[in-house]
Amino acid sequence: MKYIKNIKYVILVALSAQILGSCSTDYVEVDPPYQVTSESFFKSQEDYENALIGAYDLLQATYVNVILGEIASDNTHAGGESATDVIGWQQIDRMVHTPINSNLRDVWNFNFAGVYRASYIIENKDNIEFDGKDQLLAEAYFLRAYFNFELVKWFGGIPIKPEGRFELGEELTLPRASVEDVYTYIETDLGNAVSNLSEVPSEPGRATVYSAHALLGKVHLFQNEFVPAAENLNAVINSNQYHLYGTEADEDYENLFEYSAENSAESVFEIQYTGVEGAGFGCLQCSEGNVAVGFSGVRGYAGPVFESGYGFNLPTEEVYNDFGVNDLRRDVSILNIDEWAAETGASYNIGNQDPVTGHTGYYNRKYLPRKNDNQGDTNLTQPNNYRAIRYADVLLMAAEALNRGNINDDLALDYVNLVRNRAGLIDISQSGSQLLDAIYRERRLELVGEGHRFFDLVRTGRAESAIDGFTAPKNNVFPIPLEELQFSQGNWSQNTGY
Amino acid sequence: MVKNFLIATMCLLSMWTYAQELDIEGSVTDEQSGMPLLGVNVIIEGTTRGTTTDFDGNYSISSVPSDATLVFSYLGFQTKKINVAETSDFNIKLKSDTQALDDVVVIGYGSSSRRKLTGAVSTVDAQSIDDLEPTNVGQALQGTVAGINVTPQSGTPGAQVNIRIRGVSTNGDNRPLIILNGFQYEGGLNSINPNDIESFTILKDAEAAIYGATGSNGVILITTKSGEINQKAQIEYKTYYGLQETTRKLPLLNATEYGLLLNESYSNAGQVSPIQNLAQLGEGTDWQDEVFEVAPITNHSLSVTGGSEKVTYAASASLLEQEGIVGGSKSKFSRSTARLNLNAELRENIDLTTNVFYNHTESNNLNSFGLGSVLFNAINIAPTIDPSLDDITGQINLGNEVINPLPQIRNTYSKTISDRLSGNVKLSIDYLENFNLEGRLGFNSTNTRNRDFAPEFIYGPNKVFNLPNNSVTLGKIYDSDFTFDLFNTYENTFGDKHDVKFMVGMTVYKQFGEGLFGSSTGVPANSIEFADLGTATGTGDQNTATSYAYDVRRLSYFSRLQYDYDDKYLLSALIRSDSSTRFGPENRTGYFPSASAGWVASEEDFFPENNFVDFFKIRSSYGVLGNDRIGDFLYLSVLSGEATYVSAVDGSLIQGQALGPLANPEVKWEEARRFNIGLDSRFFDNQVGLTVDYFVNNREDLLIGNIPVSGIFGIAAPGASGPTKNAGSVRNSGLEVTLDYKKVVNDDFSFNVNFNISTLDNEVTNVIGADFIEGGAFGIGQPAPARMEVGKPIGYFYGYESDGIFQSQAEVDAHPSQLALGADASPGDIRYKDLNGDGVIDENDRTDIGNPIPSVTGGFNLSMTYKSFDFSLYSFANLGNDIVRNYERNQPNVNRLSYNLERWTGPGTSNSVPRVTVDPTANAAFSDFYVEDGSFLRVQTISLGYTLPENLLESIGVNSFRLYAKVDNVFTFTEYSGYDPAASTGAPIGSGIDLGFYPSPRTYTLGLNVNL
Repeated sequence: MKYIKNIKYVILVALSAQILGSCSTDYVEVDPPYQVTSESFFKSQEDYENALIGAYDLLQATYVNVILGEIASDNTHAGGESATDVIGWQQIDRMVHTPINSNLRDVWNFNFAGVYRASYIIENKDNIEFDGKDQLLAEAYFLRAYFNFELVKWFGGIPIKPEGRFELGEELTLPRASVEDVYTYIETDLGNAVSNLSEVPSEPGRATVYSAHALLGKVHLFQNEFVPAAENLNAVINSNQYHLYGTEADEDYENLFEYSAENSAESVFEIQYTGVEGAGFGCLQCSEGNVAVGFSGVRGYAGPVFESGYGFNLPTEEVYNDFGVNDLRRDVSILNIDEWAAETGASYNIGNQDPVTGHTGYYNRKYLPRKNDNQGDTNLTQPNNYRAIRYADVLLMAAEALNRGNINDDLALDYVNLVRNRAGLIDISQSGSQLLDAIYRERRLELVGEGHRFFDLVRTGRAESAIDGFTAPKNNVFPIPLEELQFSQGNWSQNTGY
Repeated sequence: MVKNFLIATMCLLSMWTYAQELDIEGSVTDEQSGMPLLGVNVIIEGTTRGTTTDFDGNYSISSVPSDATLVFSYLGFQTKKINVAETSDFNIKLKSDTQALDDVVVIGYGSSSRRKLTGAVSTVDAQSIDDLEPTNVGQALQGTVAGINVTPQSGTPGAQVNIRIRGVSTNGDNRPLIILNGFQYEGGLNSINPNDIESFTILKDAEAAIYGATGSNGVILITTKSGEINQKAQIEYKTYYGLQETTRKLPLLNATEYGLLLNESYSNAGQVSPIQNLAQLGEGTDWQDEVFEVAPITNHSLSVTGGSEKVTYAASASLLEQEGIVGGSKSKFSRSTARLNLNAELRENIDLTTNVFYNHTESNNLNSFGLGSVLFNAINIAPTIDPSLDDITGQINLGNEVINPLPQIRNTYSKTISDRLSGNVKLSIDYLENFNLEGRLGFNSTNTRNRDFAPEFIYGPNKVFNLPNNSVTLGKIYDSDFTFDLFNTYENTFGDKHDVKFMVGMTVYKQFGEGLFGSSTGVPANSIEFADLGTATGTGDQNTATSYAYDVRRLSYFSRLQYDYDDKYLLSALIRSDSSTRFGPENRTGYFPSASAGWVASEEDFFPENNFVDFFKIRSSYGVLGNDRIGDFLYLSVLSGEATYVSAVDGSLIQGQALGPLANPEVKWEEARRFNIGLDSRFFDNQVGLTVDYFVNNREDLLIGNIPVSGIFGIAAPGASGPTKNAGSVRNSGLEVTLDYKKVVNDDFSFNVNFNISTLDNEVTNVIGADFIEGGAFGIGQPAPARMEVGKPIGYFYGYESDGIFQSQAEVDAHPSQLALGADASPGDIRYKDLNGDGVIDENDRTDIGNPIPSVTGGFNLSMTYKSFDFSLYSFANLGNDIVRNYERNQPNVNRLSYNLERWTGPGTSNSVPRVTVDPTANAAFSDFYVEDGSFLRVQTISLGYTLPENLLESIGVNSFRLYAKVDNVFTFTEYSGYDPAASTGAPIGSGIDLGFYPSPRTYTLGLNVNL
C-alpha cells in the first residue's frame, strides 16, 4: 500500500494524543497566580492582623454618617453649590427624604461593609492560636459593634448574624431583627471587647478597653438604661487616662480640632485619616482622607489658614447665637465668614442661596480643611482625624445618665462644670430637670458639628419640636434603601411612614 | 493558425519522444462582459503544475501531457475543466458565479462549500472592505451582513466597535469570538490592517458550536490574503488622505439666550439674578467650535503576493495615522503593521502554512466624551466665558465639574503603545488515503506601555480637575496566549453519492500575562519631558506600585460528522467538550452538541428544469453553545480588596488584606440554545440571490458579573464588588432576509445591489433569585434606569411617565403629590402619571418607558462600474430603539440645550418643556422626558473611482492605476437630538444611555491604488 510508509505519522499522532491526554487532568487545575485565596488565609497571626486593618479601613467611610447626621439635625443647612447639589442630603435637610436616596444607601452599604469585614475575622476566630489573639478579636468585636450601632441608629432593626458573614441568599431568609435584639447583639460584642481589650492600644489610634466602655455606655444611654450607661462611662472617667484638652500644660483649647491635637488625651476613640494618597468620586469610601472635611470647606475660599471646599454642612445662625459671648467654644466650633473675611482679607463664594438649605454665613470650623499638602483631588483627601468619642462627650453622657437615672446629680454637675470650665464658663449649680436641660444645652454646644445632634434629639424625644419638617415616629429612623427592599423580595419591610 | 501549427509540430515531436507533451497558450475572459480576467489559476489536474493569467488574461503553459485536463479557477466564477485532447481552442470563457456556490467557506477546523453549508453563515469579501476602507475592520460588517449590529464605542481615533450577532443575549460579555486564520484573536479589530483581509465569515447559528464554550455570541472568522500557485508577483500600493470633521454640533444657547434663561431661573426661585450686563453679552463663545477641529487621516499600504510551483507567499506593510476631531494630535491614533505569509508543499502529502503578523499601535488618549470629558465641558461651560481664560476663577460659578476644555486638552499627556506579534504554523499531513492530520500552533504576544503625565494645574476654585501636584503614572503590561490544535479528518465518497467527512480533534488554549504599574509625584519642571518614575521626586506614600498576573486555560475535545447524499441531502452533527479554569471543580467541564441538516431541492429530479430557479436549499440547525467570558477565579474568594488604614503616629498608610469581589462557588457555564431555519436560493442565471433565516436563541444561566446584591454582603467595601451569578434567561428571535442582484449589462456597465434587513425581538424569560436586575446610571442620586425583567427586553428603561406640564397651581393641587420625587410641584413642572392610582406619585409609579434594542436593522449597498468609472454606496439603518439623553448637567449655571427656549413661562406657553428654576424640582427624575427615538438611517460611504486606461499604463509597466474620492459618514437621517444615535456603551443593562458620545467623524478622502 502506497501509504504504508506513513506509519511513522500514525505513531506520531498516537504518541502526541497520548501525551496530551495524560496531562489533561492537571492542565485546568490552576490557582490564581500570586494571589491569596480565603482557603489559604487565617493561617498566621499576620493574616489576622491584616484582616483587622481591613475592618478599620471602613471606619473612614463613616464620614458620611457624621456630616449627614449633622445636616439632618437643626444644627446645619445642607448647603453646597445649589439647592439640588447632592440631592439626597438636600432632601434630608428638608426632611422630605424617601427610600430613593443614594446617600442613605451609602450609610447602609458602608457600615454593612464594616460589619462584613469584622465578621470575617470573628467567623475564623478558632482557626489558629497565637499570643494576643484575644485582644485582636476584641478589636474586631468592637468594630462590628461600632458599625452595627451606626446602622441601628440610622435604620432601626437590621438583619444580624453574630456567628459570621452574611451569605448570598440570606437576604431572603434572615429577617430584620428587632431594635432590642440588635442592641443585645451590640452589647454582647462590646462585652467581649471590654473583657479582652487592654488599656494600651495594640497600635496607637486603635480601640482600647475604654473605647469599648465608652461605646457600651453610649449604647445603654440610647436605650435609656442609665445604670449600666453610668457604670461604663464612669469606668472611662475613673481610669484617669483622659482629660479635657487645654487643661494641662502645653495644651491650648483653641487647638483641639487642629492637627496638633490629634490623638490627644481627650480622644477616647479617634478615626485616622491622611492626605498622602489621592482619591476619586468613583469610590469615596476608598479615600484615606476625611471626605466630610472637603465637603464642609468654604466654597472658592482664598485666604489664610483654610483651604477651599464644597460648602456643605453650614451651621445655622440660631446655633451660632446659642453660644454665650464668653463661650470659647463658639469660635472654635463655627467660623463666621464675614467677620473672618473682614479680619483677614479672605475671599470666598456663596453657592446654594436657598433660605431653607442654603448659605448661612457660618461654617463648621471643627472640620474645615486646613492648609496642608494633601494629594490628588484635595476636596476628598483632607487629613483631619474624626474625634469619634471625645472625653467631653463621655463626661456629658455620664452626667446625663447620672441625672436621668436619678443616680447622682452632684457628680453629674461636676462633669458638666468640667466641660464648661474648659470653655471658659463659670460653674452652674442646677439639679433635677433643670440640670438635665443644662446638660442637653451643653451637649449641643460642646458637640456641634460632630454628627451627634440628630440622634441625641431623637433618643430624648425632642426631635419633632427642634427640627423643621420632622414627624415622629416616621423620622426617628431613616428609610431602608429601596434597592435593599428589592433585594430582599419582601423579606424586609419598610420603616413605618416611608 | 500559427498556434495550431505549433501544436501540430509539438505533437509530432512528442510522438517522436517517449511521451506526448504540448505547450499551450491562450486567454481567459469573462463570458458575460468579454473582459480579460487577471490572475485566473490554470492547473494541470492531478498535479500542482500550473500558471496564472496575466493582466490581459493571457497564459501559457509548457509540457502539458496530451491526455491532461486543465482546470481554470477564479474567485467569483465557476471553475471550468478542459480536456486538452478534445480541445483546440484554448481561449476560455468563464461563467460568473455570484456568491459562487462552490466557494470554499471556512467553518472552523475545516471548510465546506457554500452549496453544502447547513448553518446560517454570512461572508463579507475583500471587495466590500476595499469599498468601505474602514480604519477598524469591524466597521466593514456594519450594514453588509444581516443580523449583525456594529456600534462604535466612540468616534475617537482607534476606538473599538461593539459587534452584536443576533442581538444582546447575555448580560455579561456579548463580544463574538474572533478567529484569525484559525486562532482566537483577542487583540482587538483595530489592530488589523484591513487590506490584509481576504474575507470575513460569520457563523450566526449552531454552526458555531464547534467553538463550544466560546461560540455562544457567534463567531467571526477572518481569513487573510495569501498568494497563489504559479502566480507572478502582484505588487499593490494603496494610499489615501482624508479630512475629518464633526457631523453634528448640539444646539446650545448663545451668551444672550443663556443670560436670559439663567436670570429667569434665579428669579423663578426668588433669588437675585446673577447676570447684570445682559445687553452686552452678544453671541459669546461657541465652545463646540472651540473644541472641534478638522483633523487629517492618512494611510499607506503595500503588499506583494505570488507563488511558484510549490510555494506561495504574501507580504504586506501598512501605516495609518489618524488625528481626532476633538483634540487633534492629543487624540492621535497610529498603526503600523507588517505581515508575512508563506505556504509550501513540503512533500506530495505534507503542506506547511505559516503566518506572522506584527503590529504597532500608538494611541494618545484624551478624555473626549462622557462625564468630565472635553465634550462634556464644551457643552456645559457658559458661553459668556472667554476661551482664553484657563482659570475661570471669578467667572460665573459652574460647579466643581465644569472647566475650560481648552487647557484640559493642552494638559492631557496620555499615551498607550502596543507591540503585538502574532503568528501560526500549520502542518497538514495526508498520512493515509482519505486520512488527514492537521497540527497547528498559534500565538499572540503583546507588550503594552502606558505613560500618563498630569501636570500641576488649577482650573478654578474647587474644580475636581485641579492638581496641586503633578504626577506621572507608568504601566507595563504583557499579554500572551497560545493555542494548539490537533485534528484528524477522514473524508471519503462511497458509491459515488455518499460523501462522508469525519473529524475528531482537540485544542489546548492558554492565556496568561502580567501588568506592573507605578506612579509618583514631583515631576521636574512640571513637564512631560521629565515625566518618568526615575526623575520624579515624590517620596513615601506618594510613590505607588501595583501589579497583577493571570493564567487562564481551556482544554477542549471535539468531533464533527458531515454527510451528504448526492449533493441533495446534507447532514452535520458535532459535539465539543470544554474544561475551563474559569469555573470551579464542580462545573469545570461543559458539553456542547449540535446538529444541522439541509436539503438542496434544486438538485431533485422532480425540480422543474429550465426554471428561473438555479439553486434552492432549505436548512436548519439546533445546538447548544457556551460562554465563558467572565472574570477569572470567580468561584474563589480572593484577598484582592483594599485594606488601608492610617498610622496615628505619622499619618502614613498601613496596608492589610481584605476580600475582593464576592465569590460564587456555584458559577457555571452559560448556555445558548440556538435554533435556525433558513433557505439559500439563486435565480435568473445566478444573478439574484435570496437568503432567509428565522432564528430563536435561548440563552440560559446567563452569567452576570458584578451583579447588584444587598449591601449586607460587604460589596461596597474598597476593592469588593458583587458576585458573578448565573442569573436568568433571555430569548432573541428574528427574521433575516438578504437579497442581492448582480448584473453585467454590457461590456461597459455592470452593477451589484445588496439589501439586507433583520428583525430582532428580545425578551427576558427568566430571572433567577430576584424579581429583576438593575443597571445603568442616570443623573445624580437617581435609582438605576434600566432593568432586566421577565417579559421585557433586556435593559429596558424604567422610569416615570410624564403627562405634560402643570399650567397652574390649581392643576398642581388637583394632582397627586409629587413630593416623593424630591420636591413639591409648581406650575411649569413636569406632571407625572399616577400609574398605580394610589393618590401619590412615588417610585411605585415607574414603568417601561423605552427599549434600547433596535427592532429592525438593515443595510442597502450598491456598487457599479461604467467604463472606467466605479461607484459605490453603503448605507444602514437602525429602527425602533430609544436613547436616553443624559448629557445635560443638572447644575444651575451651566449652558443648556436650545430646546429650553421653548420652556414654560406661564399658563399656555408650553406643555412639553418645563420651567427653568434653581429651586429643587422633580423635573430631573428619570422620565420619558429624557427618552428619545434613536432610529436612524445613515449613508455610510459614497465613493467614485476612475481607472486609467490600460494603453496609457502598459508602456510604464503599471497594471492598473485607480484614483478615487470618497465620503464616509455622509449623512444621518434621525430625529435624535444628541451627537450620534449609532454610538453605544455596549452594556447589556444600561445601553442606550447617552453621556454625550463623541460623534463619528465625517471624512472626505482622496485615494490612489496602483498595481504593478
